[in-house]
Amino acid sequence: MSELTEEAIVERLREKFGDRIKAAEITGPRRVFVTVDPPDYKEVVRFIARDLGLVHVQTITGVDYPDEKRMEIMVHMGRRITVTVRTSIPREKPEIDTITDVVPGSSVHEREVHDLLGVVFKGNPNLTRILLPEDWPEGIYPLRKDVPLEEIRAKPLRGEREA
Amino acid sequence: MKRSSYELFFDVPIGPQHPALKEPIFLKLVVEGEQVVKADVDVSYTHRGIEKALEYGNYIQNIYLIERICGICNVAHTLCNVVTVEQLYDKEIPPRAQYIRVIVEELARIHSHLLWLGVAAHEIGFDTWFMYIWRDREVVMDLIEAITGNRVTTAINTIGGVRRDIKPELYDRIRKGMDFLEERTKFYKKVAMEDPTVNARCAGVGILTPKEAVELCAVGPTLRGSGVKHDVRADDPYAAHAEVPFEVVTYDTNDVLARILVRIDEVLESINMVRYCLDHMPEGPYRIKLPLAPPKGEAIGRVEAPRGELIHYVKSNGTEKPERYKVRTPTFSNIPALCAMLTSKGDYIVNIADVPIVFASIDPCLSCTARVEVVDAEKGKRKVLSMEQLRRKGRAW
Repeated sequence: MSELTEEAIVERLREKFGDRIKAAEITGPRRVFVTVDPPDYKEVVRFIARDLGLVHVQTITGVDYPDEKRMEIMVHMGRRITVTVRTSIPREKPEIDTITDVVPGSSVHEREVHDLLGVVFKGNPNLTRILLPEDWPEGIYPLRKDVPLEEIRAKPLRGEREA
Repeated sequence: MKRSSYELFFDVPIGPQHPALKEPIFLKLVVEGEQVVKADVDVSYTHRGIEKALEYGNYIQNIYLIERICGICNVAHTLCNVVTVEQLYDKEIPPRAQYIRVIVEELARIHSHLLWLGVAAHEIGFDTWFMYIWRDREVVMDLIEAITGNRVTTAINTIGGVRRDIKPELYDRIRKGMDFLEERTKFYKKVAMEDPTVNARCAGVGILTPKEAVELCAVGPTLRGSGVKHDVRADDPYAAHAEVPFEVVTYDTNDVLARILVRIDEVLESINMVRYCLDHMPEGPYRIKLPLAPPKGEAIGRVEAPRGELIHYVKSNGTEKPERYKVRTPTFSNIPALCAMLTSKGDYIVNIADVPIVFASIDPCLSCTARVEVVDAEKGKRKVLSMEQLRRKGRAW
């Protein structure tokens, strides 16, 4: 869809947002990583989708860094070139704006990250359970690093009968 | 067909048992008479926690676990895994390995698309077609077995190349198989285009407009059936795809028939790609040894699986085990598009009888033991229909 080159994408983003783009690097052919602060996240995603024409949200990845007390949210966008918008949110209060009103198809990806990492996407109208079973204990987010496999195995599920 | 005037809404849950799928789908439909007015999905039924488990295995062990994410597209998953992890090493992979990867990937695509075509034929009650297609699919299964040693779980891709070479004496057998499949697939295309049963059940059913397809992030044949020309093999070439020529197939009727024709044409394209790879197979090693622990870094790998764009993300911390591994399967991305297809709006009406084929049209690996529970909200009565009963209902409609 977009015939923009990797360099042109970085240039357009820097032109529009200036210092608000904290870092922008081209890591390889057709791979662009852009780092922004959480307040600018939605605006940058909207600019990429509407103005640069990369409407497709491939997926949203969340990574937990307990040592640095942060979680990283990455939105991978684009059909040909993958532009990744990366932002860090505090681990104690993992909240970020939703982008479902910009790209409706991102709803399932936000629900997945919410389910597995406990990130709250403010404004998502349907932030319900999508991947974990119905009887999964509340408040355990399996992809967080402080939840070891042994603990997940030991937790009785809500629907489990008492032996 | 007119809109229903019952004004009485029922919940019809469909699912959730789909063992062949990473995300088995539970469809919650709201119906008015025979017409679906709202669709929602729940994919929470066999979440296996593979992403978490991958953080506990090393990169070689993980190949075997990733292979088991999906039985049918196991080649796409291992291929995506190795192209992602190889980006961390920044080493040249031998060209022969890349060609072998493309051959096995395209053979797997042929087998997956033929499997799906058979399932689609079964869903519309055309079981003769289904049996013919599955008989012919055995040819490609035998070829995969001859090349990799296994019919289904191929275990061919590994970090640094492939695990087995294709012996030159197999070339002729593969070519013969391709000739046979080409002839049969062309015949199936004729059937799909001319047969009144296929036309009656598939044309105008499961509409997904190009605008919806793009906004709802549809991928693969679902996207291309709506006339949007995107294919990872062409857009973001991996393995030897930058060298192997092919056409991105699109149809613009936006319905189930378009998705059938896209997949049939893709089988024909794959056959030509296999032939090209055999004719231009480079000499040399088929594998290089790489250290078990890749350097620190992160990488995104994209592969066109039979069902669409597949994405793996890896974050390496310099040890033998990944810090984070993320998998996004094509079916997951097609869920919003599926909900749009299953919702009646304006002149577009979705009947309950069309739900199985519309659902199947995104290719969610329907080896399902799904059942349908019809709940009468007014009287509180419940009756449970099996998928077979639903199919019969579909044929009678």
